[in-house]
Amino acid sequence: MLSCKKATELIEKRSLIRLSFREKVQLRLHKSMCDACTAYEKQSKKIDELLHNHIHDTDMEHTTILKNETLKEQIINNLPNS
Amino acid sequence: MDISKPDTTVKCWVDLYSDKMYSWAFHKTSSKEIAEDIVQDTFLAAFQSISKFEGKSEPKTWLFAILNNKIAEHFRKQFRNPTVTESQSGSSLFDTLFDANDQWIKEQRPKEWQGEQAHLLDDVAFVKVLQGCMGKLPINWMAAIQLKYLEEKKGELICQELGIAPTNFWQVLHRAKLQLRKCLENHWFKK
Repeated sequence: MLSCKKATELIEKRSLIRLSFREKVQLRLHKSMCDACTAYEKQSKKIDELLHNHIHDTDMEHTTILKNETLKEQIINNLPNS
Repeated sequence: MDISKPDTTVKCWVDLYSDKMYSWAFHKTSSKEIAEDIVQDTFLAAFQSISKFEGKSEPKTWLFAILNNKIAEHFRKQFRNPTVTESQSGSSLFDTLFDANDQWIKEQRPKEWQGEQAHLLDDVAFVKVLQGCMGKLPINWMAAIQLKYLEEKKGELICQELGIAPTNFWQVLHRAKLQLRKCLENHWFKK
């Protein structure tokens, strides 16, 4: 029988790599008997979704635009042949 | 645009896009110095490989692709160089959540979160809590999180680029997720 610590580890592992058949069975069995780890899995997926959308937000909707004139000059001065 | 004159073209791009790129790099790394270095490196790389830019995509898209590569490179470096205190905080985190038999400590057992969860990221207060919780993660845990979600890559590929065994990577992610979950619960989901 898996411990809860190991079960949560497998839940995170699965979001990255395929679990082995044995790991899949062990995890399913554990969750069928453990409400806490079942709730953990649901929350973990929710956090994945939040992080994905937050980190991948390249439209910069929520990013404050900072002005940096010094940097502009510095980049131009450091370009070769200029 | 005349890409036969690379320095004029790149200078024009610096003028148009450097503030946006700097803001993005700062948003990702939370450090002005690092963001400046990354943007500087990006323009240098763009200048050197401008012959590969054929005008098939928007200059902004092309520059941001290079920028995001540089940001990922930065997080790979941070992931590889954890300090001693950071690797220790893993075991103390486990001790606050699990008992000697590795089962949840009674009051730490996850229970379903209540309340509306569909549009959390539209809520400025929630985004603030999320950023606060991410900011509290040890640097290399945060780097692992950024690498996982920044680039839509398979786990195997991320590990290959890091030059580590997948086990090391998901074990760090496991700790990061446990801590992040706890922090979000304490500051948002717990009524």
